[in-house]
Parts: sequence; structure tokens; C-alpha cells
Amino acid sequence: MELVSLLSRMSFYLPIRHRQSCTRVAVLPSSDFFISTVERLCDRVQSSTLLEDRRDAVRALKSLSKKYCLEVGSQAMEILISVLQTDRNDTEIVGYAVETLTNVMCNEPYEEEDEPPRALPEDLGIQFTEMFIKDPENISLLLSLLEEYDFHVRWPTVKLITTLLINKGKAIQEIILTSPMGVSKMMDLLSDSREIIRNDGLLLLIQLTRSNTNIQKIVAFENAFERLLDIIAEEGNSNGGIVVEDCLLLLLNLLKNNSSNQNFFKEGSFINRLPAYFELEPADQSPQGGWSAQKVTNIHLMLQLVRTLVSPNGPQQQTMACQKAVFQCGLLEKLCNILMASGVPADVLTETINTVSEVIRGNQGNQEYFASVLAPSNPPRPAIVVLLMSMVNEKQPFVLRCAVLYCFESFLYKNELGQSQIISTLLPTTAEVNTITAGQLLCGGLFSSDPLSTWFAAVALMHAVFDNAKQKEQLLRVQLATSLGNPPVSLLQQCSNILAQGAKLQTRVGLLMLLSEWLSNCPAAVNHFLSNNANIPFLISQVSASEGDEMELIVQSLCAFLLGICILYNSEQVEGFAKHDLRNIIEKRIGLEQFTDKLLQVSKHEAYSRAAKKPQLNIQQTSDILFDHQFTKLFKQLENEVIRAISPGSDEENEAEKKKQVALEQHESIVEQYKGIIREQDSQLNIVRGELSELQNKHKECNTKVEELGRQIQQLKDQNALLKAQRTGSIPVSSPKENGISVTQLTMDLDAKTLQVKENEQEIEKLKAELTKALGTASSHDHGQVNAMVNDSSSPNMSGDQFSVEDLNRKLECKEEEVKLYKNKYESMSKQLVQLREQMTSGDLQEDKHSLTQRVSELEFNLTAAEIEKKRAVDNEICAQDKLKAVIEEKAALEEKVKKFEKDMAELEIELEEVKASATEGKKDQEDLLILLAEHESKLKTYRDRLKELGEKVEDDLDDDDDDLDGDDDED
Amino acid sequence: MSYAYLFKYIIIGDTGVGKSCLLLQFTDKRFQPVHDLTIGVEFGARMITIDGKQIKLQIWDTAGQESFRSITRSYYRGAAGALLVYDITRRDTFNHLTTWLEDARQHSSSNMVIMLIGNKSDLEARRDVKKEEGEAFAREHGLIFMETSAKTAANVEEAFINTAKEIYQKIQDGVFDINNEANGIKIGPQHSLTNPGMSSSSGGGNQSSGCC
Ligand SMILES: Nc1nc2c(ncn2[C@@H]2O[C@H](COP(=O)(O)OP(=O)(O)OP(=O)(O)O)[C@@H](O)[C@H]2O)c(=O)[nH]1
Ligand SMILES: [Mg+2]
Repeated sequence: MELVSLLSRMSFYLPIRHRQSCTRVAVLPSSDFFISTVERLCDRVQSSTLLEDRRDAVRALKSLSKKYCLEVGSQAMEILISVLQTDRNDTEIVGYAVETLTNVMCNEPYEEEDEPPRALPEDLGIQFTEMFIKDPENISLLLSLLEEYDFHVRWPTVKLITTLLINKGKAIQEIILTSPMGVSKMMDLLSDSREIIRNDGLLLLIQLTRSNTNIQKIVAFENAFERLLDIIAEEGNSNGGIVVEDCLLLLLNLLKNNSSNQNFFKEGSFINRLPAYFELEPADQSPQGGWSAQKVTNIHLMLQLVRTLVSPNGPQQQTMACQKAVFQCGLLEKLCNILMASGVPADVLTETINTVSEVIRGNQGNQEYFASVLAPSNPPRPAIVVLLMSMVNEKQPFVLRCAVLYCFESFLYKNELGQSQIISTLLPTTAEVNTITAGQLLCGGLFSSDPLSTWFAAVALMHAVFDNAKQKEQLLRVQLATSLGNPPVSLLQQCSNILAQGAKLQTRVGLLMLLSEWLSNCPAAVNHFLSNNANIPFLISQVSASEGDEMELIVQSLCAFLLGICILYNSEQVEGFAKHDLRNIIEKRIGLEQFTDKLLQVSKHEAYSRAAKKPQLNIQQTSDILFDHQFTKLFKQLENEVIRAISPGSDEENEAEKKKQVALEQHESIVEQYKGIIREQDSQLNIVRGELSELQNKHKECNTKVEELGRQIQQLKDQNALLKAQRTGSIPVSSPKENGISVTQLTMDLDAKTLQVKENEQEIEKLKAELTKALGTASSHDHGQVNAMVNDSSSPNMSGDQFSVEDLNRKLECKEEEVKLYKNKYESMSKQLVQLREQMTSGDLQEDKHSLTQRVSELEFNLTAAEIEKKRAVDNEICAQDKLKAVIEEKAALEEKVKKFEKDMAELEIELEEVKASATEGKKDQEDLLILLAEHESKLKTYRDRLKELGEKVEDDLDDDDDDLDGDDDED
Repeated sequence: MSYAYLFKYIIIGDTGVGKSCLLLQFTDKRFQPVHDLTIGVEFGARMITIDGKQIKLQIWDTAGQESFRSITRSYYRGAAGALLVYDITRRDTFNHLTTWLEDARQHSSSNMVIMLIGNKSDLEARRDVKKEEGEAFAREHGLIFMETSAKTAANVEEAFINTAKEIYQKIQDGVFDINNEANGIKIGPQHSLTNPGMSSSSGGGNQSSGCC
């Protein structure tokens, strides 16, 4: 054991000792010895059963691997890989193996003093890398090692993967993409608490994300933006060190040309975190301060980050959204502060101007903000003016001047308001005496002796009228005072004069571009130009010149272009210079072929294609400055038209064809117009449809509301009815009036009965009296009468008497019977009376009475209750009525609304119909036009054919192939 | 716009089932009739409201084509929700659901909410998979289910919002560890009041425009 370990240690030291002896001997026969050493070590790693032994052997290999990378690499690669697999659990041996592999694959030449470097194949590291990744499993193996927290494993693994990526980026990216957790394992490195791993992790990720959109997206998905912005903030933003720089490089990798990630960056509101980067501290603004190189680098990268988000080459919608966000979070303001601050290094300032340019370019809100920025000068001047002062100042750095022009162009791009603001400062009416204006600076620049100033001013002015017919006409009003005693001269003429005087090349190119834009699409300017007899001859002389170097050729070519524009936009108002006059002159003095040839020189120039690529001037040297981006657009747009305008053929035919051409163009434009209208109508239709459905929804809503209200009303009505019904319905049950009546009736009954009783008594009294009277007479008669009666019966007198006695007796009997009857009656009556009396006095009646009074009071109570209830009901009713009223009113209002909606809807429907109708009409028109077009096309073709028959060259394809020029865009 | 929560979603499923169209309908309220094959993944975002809270949805629309499968797997782990989409007019897309589900379960965090979506419900005449079958599959595997049409927008809002509701519920129930961003959930800036970077940045700063 001991021996073995000693041996292994010996063999570890052995090569080193030997190497030292080598250096002493200076030249030693080959590396045979090391080859065999490496062989032996490999053998040991493979065959030794002791971990310790293997570990020492690997460590020995590692120490040889830098200098003898060829030997170690070619012999030990496989063995080292198998160590990674089998001895996985020993972090030390794994660490050595990984380091050895790194040494073998990294392309750093091993340098040692006193020793000439060995001649090794340059791509040795790459070859070993290829060997290593032949089995993609090896990458998975490394990715799994990344999970090992032990520093001895994780750190060298990070470095090895970085080395592999540097050597064979594409291939390894592809392998990593197939490993689902691969990227996220690498992202975890950014959260490692050991700074060295985090920082090397950054370097790894920079390599990993290099030009691979898919990986960039995954890294972003794994919260890279958040993590990186956090690190930058922790490290002190722009004042931070190289770690900040690395973070920014990684951010740029993730965002450049990756619109999905840009969108994610914007959506994640990460733009809000950028203003902090551009916070200037007092020290940054002191003249002696001086920025550290690291800070300058950081700020440059931060500016680039902003530019990536608002790049004019990106998808327009996204650029606009980012521009808006940059403004809203105050970043544009911060950038403008840097523009106006002192102590900012010139290159930072330049790049800031370029950044501001792209933040405002074509975005009206931002352009307006920019126009309002004031420089802290005394008196305060608009930032635009201060910048223009630098542009026309020869002493300012060239790149800075280019940046200002870019900024000015960007300010005017798609900004009619800005254009008119600039032009207005040139016009006599508004020019103030004491303040410096943009117009003054541009004029000054235009006629400066410095050709660059002229070029910048001319191009700037060109942008102030670009695509803006109104401002072109306004600019015609500008007059310049010349030398004393001479009349003022127009700005346009002054430009032509300078041109004719043979100024420096760039001056002439600048002026020719300005004039071309100014005259195009502006017949008034063409007239003005033609009205000076000297101008056309000058152009003709230029175009017809046969001598001249490459640069003169460009000027001649631009002159041809301007000449063509004079024909194209000629309104035939200047005698001697009408279209056919000009065409004749060209044909006679230059020849059509030569003219075309000259004209096309511009677009053949390398500087032209360079300018056409992107809006920012892409120039390092002052001498390279030639064309402006917008001018190349104009040229592209008009060159074919110019060629057509001077095309040969008899005048009439030419005219006819021109007319056809014009008609065709008109038709095209009409068709375009119709298409526009249709599109517009389509969108209107959509809007109307949207509104309609909204209205329908509202209508529905209203209807349901109305229904509900109706229901409520019905409910209230029902309640009301119920209340009413309750009131009337209660009368038979408990109406107090009715009760009263019945009581009085009862008393009345009683009274009547008493009266009757009294009457009866009286009658009885009367009868009694009669009876006693009758009884009295009867007893006196009794004697005599009975006798008499008896006597009467015996004598006729007596018989008479007797008869009357019998009568009387009968009468008496009758009477007695009657008395009996009366007596009975009387008795019953008395009885009744007693009874009644008894009743009257007895509790019965009393009770009755009592119950009656009770009932009465009860009824009275009921009555009040009922009255309260009634009152309440009435109140309720009033309330309900109020409610009802309100509801009815509401309902009426709603009905009104609904009616209005319906009316609106009807109107909308009508409108819709109209729109539809006009759309179909438009379509029909379009179809008609298409037919017309086809006709024209065929006519044109016949013309062409005829022309061809006549032996003329005719271009078949009128399309310009501009697309070639916007190709690649990767520089900076 | 500030939010209370941010959820990350992925949309997965066979090519051509309408994943990109669903996203476009949800974010832009548009329909794209031509199949614009997704390469890798595409990003989209929108703000929604649940329970009175603003919730930002960040959605990664993945490519369904087999060749991108390994790339799209990288997105499972960090997502809180997944819309697993099939096409009701193509049975094969339904048959592949098991594979998709296995893939998702294998690579995602266990709490990921999965919404099964039968898309193109507007093409009733060409239906090849019954609604009941979708429901049964969802029941069997513990998914939420819905039929949608990216064309007519039917149920599209609901699909995205109901998924968010489910996640939100899981947060309320304490199932999700909201501090682990690998779960695809983030608490909004307004909830962590200590945010020095923000306050110093600018006046009225954090109201940058949302997507939608
Ligand atoms: N009728 C109808 N067609 C739809 C619907 N959704 C998508 N489509 C169409 O289906 C096709 C595919 O849609 P995409 O959204 O591009 O498909 P995808 O799932 O994103 O496909 P990959 O990107 O390849 O994974 C397109 O032609 C869509 O117009 C829908 O709901 N109804
Ligand atoms: Mg897609």
C-alpha cells in the first residue's frame, strides 16, 4: 500500500523533474519520454483498483496536459471520460479529470520562458472537442456534473463546457437543446453564492446564447432578464465592474434579433429598470472627472441595449411599443439629460445621440417631447438648436456630427409638424433677430466653406422637406441677402449657383441631393429652377462630360437625375424648357443611351448600397460620406420613371404612351385608392358591426330591464289592488257604521214594543172600564131586565122584552167571551211585558247590552285600527304611486332610450347597408378598373412589342428590385 | 401595468391543432386562417382579472412538430399552467394526448395545472372526437376540460382564465410555493413594497404600457 502510493507520488513528480532538466539541457530528443509517461499513467488509471492510485495518476496527467496536450489528449481522452463515469463519487478525481480535459481542449498555446513554443496544429483543441462530442452522452455527463455542488467539480465543469462552446458552439448548442434541463442547470449557476462560479457561469451563458434563437428564448424563459438586471443593480449599475459588462453582453445576446425575447422584455416591464443606468452623478459631470474605462464600456453596452429594443430594423409595432415604454418610464428624459450634460466623454455622447435618435424616430409623441427639451444654456435654447450647432461646426468630432444628423433626421421622420417648425424658422415672417434658429444654422452650414458642413446642412434641409409638398413650396420663399448692392437671391438659386461654381465634391453631392428632393413632386420648384436660364445648360454640360474620375461620375449621375426630375415634374410653364424641349436637348446633346448610363452610375456605387441599408450613416471616414439613406429611397423610387420620361419614340407616340402611362398610373392609384377605401370601409364596417352588436346587447339589456320594471309595476299594482280590496272587503265583517245602525234599530224595536205594550194596556183599561160599565148596567137590568125578559117572553111586549134579553144575554155572552179573549190577551201581554221587563232588567239583556257595547268598542278599536291601516295604506298607496310614477317615468325614459337605440340602430343598419353597398360598389368599380387595367396592359404590351419590332430596347419588367439592398444588417 | 401575480403558461399539443391561433385570439382577438408553423416557441402576454386581482399571464406557445419536441421540453419546468390542445376533427391528435401528458408530467413541476382543450369546435360537421371522450380523458387524468374555437373565440377566454383560477385557488390553498420561481408564479411588484430600483427610476414610472 504504502509503496504503491509512494510510487504514484513519484511518478507524479517525475515528469516535472524531468521537464526541469529538459529546460536546462535546452534541446532534448522529442517527447518520446512523455508519450511513454502518459501511456503509463493512462494504464494506471485504467488498471489500478485503488481509487487513491487512480486519483494520483489523473492528477499527474493534469499536470502534463497543458504542455503535452497533444499527447494527453490523444491517449487519455477516453480514459478520462470513463473516470467521470466510474469515479463519479470522488469529487477530487472528477475535478482533475475535468481540468485535464479543459487543458487539452482549450486552444491556449502553452508558453514558458526559455522555451520555443511547440509547433502544434492550430485547431488541435477543436479536433479534441469534436472527438469528445462524438458521443453526445458526454455532454449530458458534463451537465449532470454541473449539479454537483462541490466547488472542485462544478467550477472546472463550467470552464470545460465554456471551452467546448467556444470551440464547437453550434454542435454543442444543438446537443444541449435536446437535454430538457440542460439550460436550466446552466441558468442555476447565476444563483450560485460563490461569485467565481456565478461570474464564470456568465461567461458560459454568453457562449451558450451566441446566435441561437432557441437557446436565447429558453434562457429568457428561465428568468434570465430578472436575474441579470438584479446582478447589474447589485453591482452598482454603470459604476459596476466587469461583471456588469458580462451581464450586459449576455442581455444583448438574448435580445439582438430576437423579437420574441424583446417582446418578453417589454412585457415583463424590464424597460422600467433601465433609467437607473443613466443616472449621472455630480462626479460624472465635472470637467476633470473623467470616466473610468469600465464605466464607458458599461454605458456603451447599456445604450446598445436600448437601441436593440427600438431598432428601426425591428418589427414596427414592437419598436413603437418599446419607444413608448422608453418614454413613459422616463428613460428618454434621462438620455436627453446626458445629451445636455457636461463632462460626458465624446464617444458616450455620440452613442447617446444615436440612441435618442432611434428612441424618437417616427414616434410622434417622443418627437414632440424631444422638440421641447431645452439645453441649460443662457438663454435656454432648444436641444435641437444646440445639436445642430455641433453638426455644422468643423471642430466637432466627425462621428458626433453624423450622430446629430441622424438625430435630426429621426426627429423629422414622419413628422410633418416638426418639418413645418424647422422650415418656419427660415421664413422671413417668423425669424427673430436675437435668437439662433435651426434655420439660420442650416443656411449657415449650407454656404459654409467646409464641404462636410454643407453636406450635413443640405441633407438636414432635405429631410425637412422630405415627402412634404407644402414645405417644399414654403422653402421657395426663402431669399438670401448677398453682397452689398446686389438684389437678394432665392435659396434655391443660391444652391444652384454654388453647384455651378464647382464646389468641393461633397458640397455638390449634398446640394444635388437636396435639389432632387426639393424639385421632385413640386412643379413650382421645377418652374423656379427652370426660370434661371443657366441651370439646365449647366446640368447638360455635366451629364455630357466624358472626362472625370469616379467621384465626378457620381456628380454627373446626380445631375442626370435632377434633369430627369425637371422633366418628370414639369408643368410646361417655362418657355424653352417644356418637357419635349428638355427631351430634345438631351437627345441631341447627350444621347439617350449615355444619359441612362450616366443616371445609373449612382445606384451602382458601393456607397449607395451602403447608405440604402439603414438610416444611420454607416461611415467611419469623412471622405466616405456621400449618400443619404432617404435619398437612396427617392432615387430608387424615381430612377425608372426618369428613364421612361426621356424614353425615345416620336413625340406623339411618346406623349401617347406617356398619357397611357399616366392613365395607367392614375388607374393604379385609383385602384389603390379604392383598395384603401374598401379597406377603410371594411374596418368601418367592422366598427359599425361592433357598435351594432353592442347596441343590440344594450337593447337587450334595456328590454330585460323594461320587462323587469313592468313586472315590478304589476307587482305594485297587485299590492295596491290587494290593499284596496282589503279595505272594502272589511266592511261586512267589521264596519262600525253598520253596527251602530243595528243598535239603534234594536232600541227602536224595543221602544216600539214598549209602546205597543202601553197601547195594549190602555186598551185593556178601556175594556175594563167598559166591562165594569157593562156589568153595572147588566146587574140593574138583571132584575128588571131578566124579569122583563121573562115577562117579555109571556107578553108580546113582553115578547119584545124577552127577545131583547135573549139578545142581551147573547151579547153579554159575546162580550164575556170578548172580555175573556182580551183578558187572555191582556194576560199574555202582561206576561210578555213582564217578560220584557224582566229581560230589560235581567242580566241577559244587560249582558247583551254589555256585549253590544263591548262589541261596539271592539268595533271602534277595529275602526281606528282600520283607519290607521287605511292611512298607512293610503300612505303606502301614495308612496307606491310615487314609486309607480318614478317607475313609469323611468320606464318612459327607458322607452325613450330604447326608441333612441332603435333609431340609432336603424340608422346604423342603414349606414351598414350603405357601407355594404358602397363596398360592393367599390368592388365593382375595382373590377371594372381591373378590366380597364388589363386592357391597358395589353395595349401597353402591343406598344412594347411594336417598339421591339422597331428595334428599340424595352424594359419588360417595370418592377424595381429594391429588396436586394435591405439584405444583411449585422454590423456594429 | 402592475400586477398581483404573474403566471407562466405553456401551450402544447400536436402540430396544427391551433395552439398559436388560441394564443393570438386570446392576446390580439384575431384569427389567423393560415397555418403559420411555429418554430421553437413564441411568446405572448395579457393581463386578466381574477377575484378583483390583476394577473399577468406570460404564455409560451410551443411548436407541435416532432422535431422541436426536445426544445419545447425545456419550458415545462418553469410553467404554472399548461394548455394541452387537440383538434376535435383529427382523432390522431386526440390519440397522442397520452404521450403529451406523460411528457408534461415528467418534466414539469408536480403542481402544474393542465387544461385539456378540444379545439376547432366550430367544425361540428367534421367532428371526429366526441365531447364525451374528451371529458372522459380529462376525468381519468385529473385535468380540466373545455372545447374551444380559436376561430369564433368560443371558450377561448374561459380556457385561459379558468386555468388561472385553478392556479389562483391552489395558491390560496397553499399548494404552490410562490417564492420558488421555478413554479412559474411570481408575486407582483406592488406586493413586495420594498423596491428601491423602482422608486428612484422616474416619476410615474411603473405604468409602462401592457401588451394588450
Ligand atoms: N376552423 C378552425 N380552424 C382553426 C382553429 N384553430 C386553428 N385553426 C386552423 O388550424 C391551422 C393550424 O393552426 P395553428 O394555430 O397555426 O396550429 P399550431 O397548433 O400552432 O401548430 P404548430 O405551430 O405547428 O404547432 C390554421 O390553419 C388555423 O387557421 C379553430 O378553432 N377553428
Ligand atoms: Mg403554432
